[in-house]
Amino acid sequence: MNAVSSWFGGFIWTGQTVAFFLLAVLVVLAAVTLLQFRKVMHMALSIGLVFLGMAGMYVLLGADFLAFAQILIYAGAITILMLFAIMLTRHDEVEEEERAGFRQWIAGLGAAALGAVMLWAIRTTAWPPASAQPPWPAQKSVNALAETLFTGYVVPFELVSVLLTVALVGAVILARKEE
Amino acid sequence: MIAFFSWVHQALTWGTVLKMVAGALIVLFFLLGAVTYMLYFERKVIGWMQLRIGPNRVGPLGLFQSFADILKLLAKEDIVPAEADKPLFLIAPIVAFIPSFAVMAVIPWTASHVFTADIAVALLYYLALSSITIVGIMLGGWASNNKYSLIGGMRSAAQMISYEIPLGMSLLGVILLAGSLNIVDIVEAQRRFMWFVVPQFLGFCVFIVAATAELNRTPFDLPEAESELVAGYHTEYSGFRFAFYMLAEYLYVFAISCLGATLFFGGWSGPLLPGWLWFAIKVTAFIFFFFWLRATMPRIRVDQLMSFSWKFLLPLALVNIVLTSIIKYWVNAG
Repeated sequence: MNAVSSWFGGFIWTGQTVAFFLLAVLVVLAAVTLLQFRKVMHMALSIGLVFLGMAGMYVLLGADFLAFAQILIYAGAITILMLFAIMLTRHDEVEEEERAGFRQWIAGLGAAALGAVMLWAIRTTAWPPASAQPPWPAQKSVNALAETLFTGYVVPFELVSVLLTVALVGAVILARKEE
Repeated sequence: MIAFFSWVHQALTWGTVLKMVAGALIVLFFLLGAVTYMLYFERKVIGWMQLRIGPNRVGPLGLFQSFADILKLLAKEDIVPAEADKPLFLIAPIVAFIPSFAVMAVIPWTASHVFTADIAVALLYYLALSSITIVGIMLGGWASNNKYSLIGGMRSAAQMISYEIPLGMSLLGVILLAGSLNIVDIVEAQRRFMWFVVPQFLGFCVFIVAATAELNRTPFDLPEAESELVAGYHTEYSGFRFAFYMLAEYLYVFAISCLGATLFFGGWSGPLLPGWLWFAIKVTAFIFFFFWLRATMPRIRVDQLMSFSWKFLLPLALVNIVLTSIIKYWVNAG
């Protein structure tokens, strides 16, 4: 037993834990730099990086389909949509540096309270015992997803697609009014 | 050799990491060599089609021409325009290049799947990663702070997003027939049944048109239309950053040729010859097709570009999906 592993108790260093910590650092860093950047274009990029890191997390959890759908839709399409929106509007705007004041203190307190609540919730929940085996074989996760989606949850799924269509038509109508 | 590179089912030791790095480097150098000779092949083929000779000065038959060009590019100064958004300008070519190399992980080169990641959602992986390249191209165009670059980058992004949808839809027919998103399984399904180009002819037509547009190649090379936009999104780039953009572009030509050969022409399967040779022949045929197209077709007009994708290709791809699923259901039921 060397010093590092004794700090973490029964913690085992596998490729997955290393990848988890790398991804976690990436996501947190990207999220913090998102708040630090002053140019909107840089913000859009770092949010893209957050999406990518989250996709990596999904891969670690064995949800390959979700991970690559996340990259395709969030890191790809939505980031590009944001870039387009920034380019087609006033993009030279630079955010003013805010002075530390009363609001900052309140926000800090709120963040600390949220962290405490989450820590408390995580510590008190009875988690199922960890196992090396995912609930379904990795090659079958797409089939499992499809079966759940199109049998058990077929009505909500169809309703969501109707909602998206309505939103699409609504956006077109709103854009048309400008003319 | 094969057992040596099957790191998927091994524990992550330093030895496995070393093997992974070695495998990635082998694929990288193979791809660099392939791209180098694709450039040469393109110039020669187009030269012959236009009754010219093509490069013939550097080395025998001009075989070292591309190496000379690459050396020149690498030796050039890396210029950053004064008004450019410097950090974005510097990372944009890298953002564009990395996914183009990463998509190669799912290409089944040979029957024994050396260097092939056996991902269950390989096709989705390919589409997802290739969409990140668009971000790199768009950033390059924007960060250059040049109107030609910006217009080129916007055109490129709009075009690639629009044609990505019919491209993905055309692949759905193949996925329906094979019953899997895994490229290795799709090749196996074609060995049992037949090449999917026959039952999926409509899907193949949509695929090849959408792929050409996705690659920004003639007749869809509006983002780089040199007569109106100088060179599009990479106008301001020089030296090795420009080389990164070109490399990404040609890697995608190679990757989409591999994808087309695998999904519609049975990949490495074929009689007599070994698997890797069949794969090489099919991929070369695809690459030749793209070059042939470039030498033959005029450029499409910018106002026709979007309506062609949304009003023609997409409905065609949807018809293909509906037909495929009805016929598959009917065959399975009957």
